[in-house]
Amino acid sequence: MKKPEVGRIAGRFSLYLVLALFLLWTLVPIYVVVSNSLKTDMDIFARPFKVLFQPTLANYQRALTVGDFGPYFRNSLVVALSSSLVSVALGVFAAYGFASFHLKGLRVFNWILVLGKSVPTITILLPFFVIMSRIHLLGSYAGPILTHTAINLPFVIWLIIGFINDIPTALEEAALIDGASKLQSFWYVLLPILAPAIGSAAILSMQLSWNELLFSLQLTNMDTYTLPVGIAKFVGAISVDWGKSSAAATVTMMPIIIVGFFIQKYLVRGMTMGAVKG
Amino acid sequence: MRRVLNRPRVVALGYLLILPAFLVILFVMIIPLATGSAFSLFDFKFGSGQGLGRFLFLKNFVRFFADATALKALQVTLLFSAGALAGELFLGILIAVLLDKISVRLAGILRAIFCVPLLVSPIIVGLIWRYMYDPTFGLVYAFFSRIGLRSFFGGLSSPAWALLCVIIADIWETTPFILLVITSGLAVIPEELYEAARIDGAGSTRIFFSIMLPMLVKVISVVLVIRGGDAFRVFDIIYALTGGGPANSTLSLSILAFKEGFVKYQMGYAMAISLITMILVVGLFGSFSRVSVRQERTR
Repeated sequence: MKKPEVGRIAGRFSLYLVLALFLLWTLVPIYVVVSNSLKTDMDIFARPFKVLFQPTLANYQRALTVGDFGPYFRNSLVVALSSSLVSVALGVFAAYGFASFHLKGLRVFNWILVLGKSVPTITILLPFFVIMSRIHLLGSYAGPILTHTAINLPFVIWLIIGFINDIPTALEEAALIDGASKLQSFWYVLLPILAPAIGSAAILSMQLSWNELLFSLQLTNMDTYTLPVGIAKFVGAISVDWGKSSAAATVTMMPIIIVGFFIQKYLVRGMTMGAVKG
Repeated sequence: MRRVLNRPRVVALGYLLILPAFLVILFVMIIPLATGSAFSLFDFKFGSGQGLGRFLFLKNFVRFFADATALKALQVTLLFSAGALAGELFLGILIAVLLDKISVRLAGILRAIFCVPLLVSPIIVGLIWRYMYDPTFGLVYAFFSRIGLRSFFGGLSSPAWALLCVIIADIWETTPFILLVITSGLAVIPEELYEAARIDGAGSTRIFFSIMLPMLVKVISVVLVIRGGDAFRVFDIIYALTGGGPANSTLSLSILAFKEGFVKYQMGYAMAISLITMILVVGLFGSFSRVSVRQERTR
């Protein structure tokens, strides 16, 4: 029985080898951008690539003071927080309306959900840009907040409807029999149970808004650029300032990566829109 | 569906609850889609001060199929989608199946790390890979120099290589998505199936092709539709890496529509391009709607 044993060990070895290679493939690009953000220009341009180096925070200081990344960070926070707040608030109300009142609009809503998934961003952006310029709202926070809210709303509604349908109707009926109004039973009975679902919907909405580029790119101006737009302007420059843009990129991606670790399960659900139970 | 309260006042309250969400979607999606469709019928040049311009009816759409650049963009978009999907599916399924074979704890930790690229904004993915592909200090060139193929690899500035470079960056970013979905698909395969197969003497390869793959067909088709639609509309990563160049070799339909609309201000034509893109997405990947509606009915 010696031969199959050798084959098994070889199989095990190649399995771990492939996984280790994939780990490298995943982490090397991340390490490159994070390490560049902590390197001096000398170290960034050194060849071969310096794995170990003397870290410095000079790039971060430069990005925040010389570049406009301080304001961009603030703009991104304003846009992400407001749009996720609005989408969750409106989304929860709408989901409750759909789930508890047996409205005829559910089919239309389904249709909008699919529409939102197949319309290219640019198809909405071109006319929306013209509309916003006509009503003099180009360059304000309204553009990115409204568009991000509209992208997130169908998804938030869909997610919350699923959760409401999982709650036994008896709970709500008991409150109604005790004399609570429909809205009171929603506020005091359903909402507390829905809290975790609402929290994950809020985080997912924030993630989308924080990372979104195309709408923000055209609908904002110098005063309202978000972080992705700021980075896009950096990358577009003829010679990229790698230290500074790496620092900006690190600041932009780290909060999302850290949060993402905790919401992995919802991430799949959100991205597949329930076509696959995550 | 939950218990119905059909008194008129209560129903009115229900509609009142969905009204604000509906207004946002009306203003940001439905009205722009309608106005945009109207724009596509005109020779609408934004900022020219001539209103909508001449009425062209469907000439903008006809122009698309006679425009060599537009046809090139269609070809690039199809190549990008096919290449990215093939690479992502292969890697995603491979890694998901391998993670299924190791201890649950280690698999969980690795999966969490493998998901990181998914969380990074596409514009940053672009920035990272711009550096990786940089001819003087990028790691990809360093690698090709090491194995003696420095002159063979063209990078982002070569029309022959640029699209492949963009596809690889996209594979880096979205393989974790496929990995996650396939993992959830694998989780529902009953353990008894594997045991029965093993007792019958089936090896790993046989188990993969005779049990896992057939059980995954539905999940794979859903993934194909969702990722396919996304790939077909690709914008961010190309915008960050090449902006559509060199020599239009990475010009996707969304990038073309963006350039026509926001660089040349040819809003009418840009809108026609983007509507054609949308129709193709719906046509090529429209089965997603069927999947999603069916899901809703069983609930």
